[in-house]
Amino acid sequence: MWKTVVRRVLVMIPQLFILSLIVFILAKQMPGDPFTGLITPETDPSRIEELRIQAGFYDPWYEQYYRWIANALQGDFGQSYTYKIAVSTLIGERALNTFWLSLLSVILVYLLAIPLGMLAGRKQDTLLDKIIILYSFISFAIPTFVLSLVFLFVFGYRLMWFPTSGTVDVGLESGTLTYYWNKIYHLLLPAMTAAILGTTGIIQYLRSEIIDAKTQDYVKTARSKGIPIRRIYTRHIFRNSVLPIAAFLGFTITGLLGGSIFIETIYGYPGMGELFISSITSRDYSVITALIMLYGFLALLGSLLSDIIMSIVDPRIRID
Amino acid sequence: MTKKSLTLSVIFIIMLLLAACSSTNKEQANEAEDSNDKPVETEDNKVDTSLLPMKVVNEGEAIEGGTLHVGLVADSPFKGVFLAELYVDATDSSIMSYASNGLFNVDGDFLITDEGIAKLDVDTDNKKVTITIQGDVNWSDGTPLMAEDLIYPYEIIGHPDYDGVRYDDDFKNIIGAEEYHDGKADTISGIKKIDDKSIEISLKKISPAIFSGGDGLWGYAAPKHQLESIAIKDLISSDAVRKNPITLGAFKYDQIVNGESVQFVANEHYYKGKPKVDKLIIKVVSTSTVGEALKAGQFDIASFPATQYDSVKDLTNISILGRPELSYGYLGFKLGHYDQEKGENVYDEKAKMNDVDLRKAIAYAMDIETVTDRFYQGLRVRANSLIPPAFKTYYDDTLEGYHYNPEKAKQLLDAAGYKDIDGDGIREDKEGNKFTIRLAAMSGSDTAEAIIEYYRQNWKDVGLDVQLTTGRLIEFNNFYDKVQADDPEIDIFIAAWSTGTNPSPAGLYSKGAAFNFSRYVSDDLTKLLNDIDSQEALDATYRAQAFRKWQEYMADKAMVVPMLFSTSTIAINNRIKSYNIDRETGTEIQDLELIADEPIK
Repeated sequence: MWKTVVRRVLVMIPQLFILSLIVFILAKQMPGDPFTGLITPETDPSRIEELRIQAGFYDPWYEQYYRWIANALQGDFGQSYTYKIAVSTLIGERALNTFWLSLLSVILVYLLAIPLGMLAGRKQDTLLDKIIILYSFISFAIPTFVLSLVFLFVFGYRLMWFPTSGTVDVGLESGTLTYYWNKIYHLLLPAMTAAILGTTGIIQYLRSEIIDAKTQDYVKTARSKGIPIRRIYTRHIFRNSVLPIAAFLGFTITGLLGGSIFIETIYGYPGMGELFISSITSRDYSVITALIMLYGFLALLGSLLSDIIMSIVDPRIRID
Repeated sequence: MTKKSLTLSVIFIIMLLLAACSSTNKEQANEAEDSNDKPVETEDNKVDTSLLPMKVVNEGEAIEGGTLHVGLVADSPFKGVFLAELYVDATDSSIMSYASNGLFNVDGDFLITDEGIAKLDVDTDNKKVTITIQGDVNWSDGTPLMAEDLIYPYEIIGHPDYDGVRYDDDFKNIIGAEEYHDGKADTISGIKKIDDKSIEISLKKISPAIFSGGDGLWGYAAPKHQLESIAIKDLISSDAVRKNPITLGAFKYDQIVNGESVQFVANEHYYKGKPKVDKLIIKVVSTSTVGEALKAGQFDIASFPATQYDSVKDLTNISILGRPELSYGYLGFKLGHYDQEKGENVYDEKAKMNDVDLRKAIAYAMDIETVTDRFYQGLRVRANSLIPPAFKTYYDDTLEGYHYNPEKAKQLLDAAGYKDIDGDGIREDKEGNKFTIRLAAMSGSDTAEAIIEYYRQNWKDVGLDVQLTTGRLIEFNNFYDKVQADDPEIDIFIAAWSTGTNPSPAGLYSKGAAFNFSRYVSDDLTKLLNDIDSQEALDATYRAQAFRKWQEYMADKAMVVPMLFSTSTIAINNRIKSYNIDRETGTEIQDLELIADEPIK
């Protein structure tokens, strides 16, 4: 298996190279550049031209590309044109915020979806099952920004149970226990929103797998041996039913850095989604390219991880 | 001096992310289209920008100290560059206004007065200015403000490693600035320290713009004792700029949560005395939730976008104040192109839009009043001039502009020879050929589409066929790329300028101005523009007169038609004792007092 893993990692190199070429050229093809947004009657157009020349925007694309890739290979993705700090620092800050938010919401998703999915499958066609299905349809259909706004208004502004924006209150000593609790407190509401929106897939998969498994021979065997129903579900059926979910685990792990523009904007939470969209609108080339490269790498890594996880949890699957 | 440059990109991003009231506005648009008989001429043609009051007084006993909560409406985190020489983002500038290093005070026309930290003396004969620190002024760390701190900003902006927009033609007006920038000199030869408290700057030319902070004059000090050890190229990422800046302002930075919030504390060294409130917390709040946040009493002061007016206007725990913004929306006509090599605009007599009656007819046909009433709740008004009303002396309130008058539009078109020959309801051009005008307009806000469709209907009513360039609204960056490149697919375009505090129109309408998007050039116009910035115009009355003449000329030639003036709206919680947002006589932040411990819900 490890031979395959090494091979797959090696294949990533040309894949990422092609991606970098496409991304770089397409980013430059967008109308406007980071300086377009700076025009006001007070700015001097010739100064803006000067800055464009300084930034090398008039050099042939392959020269620009070579400069960029050469630096990128040494870990230097340049400076953000809008934030004026190193891209790696900027993405690092945002990635950390997004990581904690996503981690908490993924944990909440599993805590919520696995029991619900199992219950629905086990109590198939009962009222409980119908309620769970209804819930999963609603959470699937409701747009992110609607749920975010509703939650924010109800739990944030009306009931005042949770803070309404930001990652942490200003004025707390960093590193203290209160500081960390405050950070988690700020995470709860956006994480809950994301979690509720993310449960559908898992509930549905798990439910149908369990319904499937109920009629399988191994369950019949177990039952005829006199094993209590409860035990059959928690031991025998669960392990098998959870397989398709495990298949996505790799993507889930790498997806932790994805971020959501809606949740981040509404909860005023500086994360990756907001950074990605705003870097596109402001034509912040260095950030756009670095982010897409990162997402590309994570997607490749995610699929590899998923395959590895599958081969571990399901002995029938071998990758070689 | 507040040299705020609210960049267009920021406006755009804010517009893009607005997620409110689209459906209701569309209904209103349809409604507006149905009612065709509107008052053609009202008795009062003057532009009314005073829908909202400028000041509020709340009854109650002031408390000792307290914490002031300020809401900063933005849909992305602030950038956190807290140095006047380096920042570009408008949200950073809003934050910095509470801890400003500004040296000069300005009057109602944004002209420098003698009341600030420093005094400006202009010697026009010798082309020299002297800046003198008045009295003992200290930085927030207690260090006295010295002449070196006045010189240092020039050395930052002029430095070879400086990569901001402020090293411009204006800055090169300082003698020795270019040599310093090119690395040929270690200092700027035109800037001299006279004594510990004053400096002298020699300039190549002096125009009236110097009193608006133009001609290379820089209105801020920089704490040299804190910054000098940091290389200029590292300055923008340094802690001195991002984490613990030292200021001359009423408040000093206490703690900054990157991109989200800033906690200020009262600056005991402030030259006008320590502020009455102890603390000020400024926090980012998204456009879609600012109404709820105000209702919940989270903020004492929040400047919110006009699109959120509906969600705020009925709240009882706040008052809404308004004041004219330094910007205008306009309709431009393409009348030539820009010669990149010569660096000048070339006016084309044969341009499709080069018929002044046609241009006027297009302007008369637009029902701007209905748009301002229905879409902007009166928070934007029809503009009559290319100078925003905030410039009290220069703004010409007697200009009528182009009041909605379809009949007059039709007459003008008939007289100019644009007649409907084939009877399809659409006018042909003077030679009888099909006549289609291509309009470039920006996408962005939810209502942009409905508004543009409404104007197109207006034009169709007078027999003009107006089609959108590219067939749809154009994204901001793309729009300015096309307009600036004189795309042949554009005949007319709708855009906006935020003017900043220097009202001189030369940068937007002169022969050499790359931003003169209409490309109109004439000797008369050049003369009028030169007059505004001439030596004679150092006399205030003369300059006001010159501004008037220029505004009249522009209205007469109609190559750029003013469309909208905006009002900025600010919500004030009822626990603030009194607040006045007039730029000249308004409440200064250090005098602000609270009458309750928490914002009122």
